[in-house]
Amino acid sequence: MMNLIDDLRRLVGDRATDSSSERLCYSRDASQVRGLPDYVVRPLNAIEVSEIVRLAGRLGVPVTPRGAGTGLAGGAVPIKGGILLDLSGMDRMLELDLDDLQVQIEPGVIPERLNWALKEHGFFFPPDPGSSAMCTIGGMIANNASGMRCVKYGTTRDHVLDLEVVMADGRVIHTGSRMLKSSAGYDLTRLMVGSEGTLGIITAARLRITPLPRARRLIAASFPTAEAGARAVIEAFSAGIVPSACEILDRTTLMVLSKCNPNLALPMDGDLILFEVDGSEQSTAEEAEQIERACSAAISVRIATGKEEMEEIWAARRLVGAAVSRLDPNLSRVYLGEDVGVPISQIPTLIARVERIAEEAGIPAMKYGHIGDGNLHAALFIDITDEDRWGALERAADRIHLAALDLGGTVSAEHGIGLARARYMERQWGEGLDLMRSIKRAIDPQGILNPGKLGL
Amino acid sequence: MTGKPDIREILKCVRCGTCRSVCPVFRELGWESTSARGRLMIAGHLLDGGLPDEAALASLRSCTTCGICKEICPAEINSPQLIEGARRAISGRGLLSEAQLKLKTRIQATGNSLGEAQDRLAWMTEKEIPDRAKAVYFAGCLNSYRYPQVTARTLSIIKPLGVTVLKNERCCGSPLLRTGIAAETIDHNLEQIRATGAETVITGCAGCYTTLKNDYPPEFEVLSLSEFLEEHISDLKLKSLDITVTYHDPCHMGRHNRIFDPPRRVIEAICNLEEMKWSREEARCCGGGGGVRSGYPDLSLRMARRRLEDLPSNVETIVTTCPLCMKNLNDAGGMAIDLIDLVAQALPEHASGSGSSPGH
Ligand SMILES: Cc1cc2nc3c(=O)[nH]c(=O)nc-3n(C[C@H](O)[C@H](O)[C@H](O)COP(=O)(O)OP(=O)(O)OC[C@H]3O[C@@H](n4cnc5c(N)ncnc54)[C@H](O)[C@@H]3O)c2cc1C
Ligand code: SF4
Ligand code: SF4
Repeated sequence: MMNLIDDLRRLVGDRATDSSSERLCYSRDASQVRGLPDYVVRPLNAIEVSEIVRLAGRLGVPVTPRGAGTGLAGGAVPIKGGILLDLSGMDRMLELDLDDLQVQIEPGVIPERLNWALKEHGFFFPPDPGSSAMCTIGGMIANNASGMRCVKYGTTRDHVLDLEVVMADGRVIHTGSRMLKSSAGYDLTRLMVGSEGTLGIITAARLRITPLPRARRLIAASFPTAEAGARAVIEAFSAGIVPSACEILDRTTLMVLSKCNPNLALPMDGDLILFEVDGSEQSTAEEAEQIERACSAAISVRIATGKEEMEEIWAARRLVGAAVSRLDPNLSRVYLGEDVGVPISQIPTLIARVERIAEEAGIPAMKYGHIGDGNLHAALFIDITDEDRWGALERAADRIHLAALDLGGTVSAEHGIGLARARYMERQWGEGLDLMRSIKRAIDPQGILNPGKLGL
Repeated sequence: MTGKPDIREILKCVRCGTCRSVCPVFRELGWESTSARGRLMIAGHLLDGGLPDEAALASLRSCTTCGICKEICPAEINSPQLIEGARRAISGRGLLSEAQLKLKTRIQATGNSLGEAQDRLAWMTEKEIPDRAKAVYFAGCLNSYRYPQVTARTLSIIKPLGVTVLKNERCCGSPLLRTGIAAETIDHNLEQIRATGAETVITGCAGCYTTLKNDYPPEFEVLSLSEFLEEHISDLKLKSLDITVTYHDPCHMGRHNRIFDPPRRVIEAICNLEEMKWSREEARCCGGGGGVRSGYPDLSLRMARRRLEDLPSNVETIVTTCPLCMKNLNDAGGMAIDLIDLVAQALPEHASGSGSSPGH
């Protein structure tokens, strides 16, 4: 490949590099995928991005956008080399329009920071991935990320009104408007959401914001089996309750949680379902009672209302995925097969299958996730210096993916496909994947945007 | 503290990026190589036999070792320790930076990190100091040469409580350890301390404290000045001042050695304390540590300015317990004083009554 560094420097000065150590740092995200970029560039605005993409297009060089590199599927890993665009420096909040319930931000804004700013005004941006302290909103949009509160508030997709996108030929387009609703043509915003950087580079986003609820209540119910827990969830839903979070944590997960924070006031005697309801004092009190009733099969039920106590439980829950080394310092969590989803009614079957798969592979596993929307995180952990264990782990992850598809589910409910799950796309989508390929060809005929991803 | 860092520890990093949300250097520079995650990838590569380029050296050297990444890392990785280990490994290969080389020659020639030729005890106003005492005040290079009033004030306040100083103190070794060069001065100081027969060594410098506590043999008790003052608070008969100050936790007092409460209790015995936006375990670094102030002065100042944004509104005076933090915050336009300055104002014999703002 010809040397582009001088051209890139002409565009962005010392925010472009070809240093080998810097490239190394951008060769991975939080998944196991690796790929070294030839250049790393840190643009600061859409014009720079557009110029870089045009340059890449002229020479047929791949361009891979990256937010914070917290993705769990290798989406931001430049597996075909080329230019890595680090967008995390584009982190300004452009406009706060409370009257119209929206904000406009650059893609590098970190959701936690946006929420600090919104809180002052009584609003929030609901999608709350476990990585909300460090990921970027651009990455969330590109992955259609979601979190615990999405069972009530929807995923990132439901909060995007408009995107400014640099297309593969360098054009800068808008996909929507300030309107909260619109019935005019193809929904380009939704096409871009979840496209993992393969259709365009998001340089600004207009997001819908939501008033903060006045009260929250957390109900922790411990069940003798995960199946009994899942039945309680279905019962609560049928009683008309839409919890603002509904999580399952199995016994192993609880053990890890208690290692992270020994003061956590959680029952440890079974598989745990955490329900959260939000709204007014009165509505949350009533709903908490209803949920308690739905949990008749529980060993114990605790209702928490203290702000700090709830925050502590959620903070621990948010980071549990990465905290497994507290259980055994020789074991590390490997994010493979970690994000499957199935219809809620199938969750108990999925849990049972994951349990068997892990047992047969001799790999300990935590099972936790957003049971309210059928998303199960299976956390497998091994001694990562042991080659044999890697093989066993990969086989187990493969079986978990197939089990989810078998139950009518998805190989990724929120973390995305990237490269890590690309090989399942054909199986999950069939003909639908052909249509995706046609869309990709029409929009990026040279295939320069994040090549090698999504099984395209 | 010596030896190569364990590659297994580095492999434990799940690259979750949580450290990106707090690393003060990354906040300013934005390159992945300047976050703990990037530094660990580079350290791993070097330990695997990889060759360091400019960016690799800058990555490892620009870490202030503030430890906030360690505080929140879900995998409990001690990044600053691993980064220091990697620095030692590359200094072992003869890759000292210009700043590190200068420091090394300076300390060897003058016994202090500033290269001052002057008598180290020039600050001392006391005519006589006992040869032997229960406790020794270890002044440190910065306090001895840059803040002679602070040092003199400290000794005058704690000497009556049975404290002496070393006749021939040298640099504690901290800047050398932190930058990865083994310290020769430790043995010299040890001998001096032993000669006084002291059971306790007191220091008002975060760098000296952490070195005395963690890198010297555990022959004596090491107390930070704030702990010592807290212990003797009733002997000091402090009066209260009608002012409000805030407190900046030096990384090597707070996070590294968990000294959070003693300075606060001393302050609260004197006046109002209002916390900074981030404090205690979450306090942001002033940008001065880890050799960053000497190696990357501009970067260091940018971090200090960022730290000043954490001041509570309407509070100007920042009390701290480390001369390096004090210097960096003041150079960035802050109004930082040492805890002992506040204590001096509250002594019964201090003339200027309450209400005045403590200066230095
Ligand atoms: C501990 C931990 C917990 C997590 N918890 C959750 C969770 O609860 N829910 C969840 O959904 N995810 C979770 N994730 C996964 C990840 O954090 C999210 O997918 C996040 O949205 C990725 O954001 P990022 O900025 O790191 O994106 P990156 O990883 O940098 O990139 C992700 C994808 O987005 C593309 N991209 C990034 N920026 C742009 C842009 N501006 N324009 C176009 N494409 C772009 C990249 O090319 C890539 O394909 C977790 C990850 C970790 C490490
Ligand atoms: S927080 Fe810890 S595990 Fe996560 S990237 Fe940083 S060092 Fe690695
Ligand atoms: S110790 Fe501080 S400066 Fe160094 S990597 Fe960690 S957070 Fe960054």
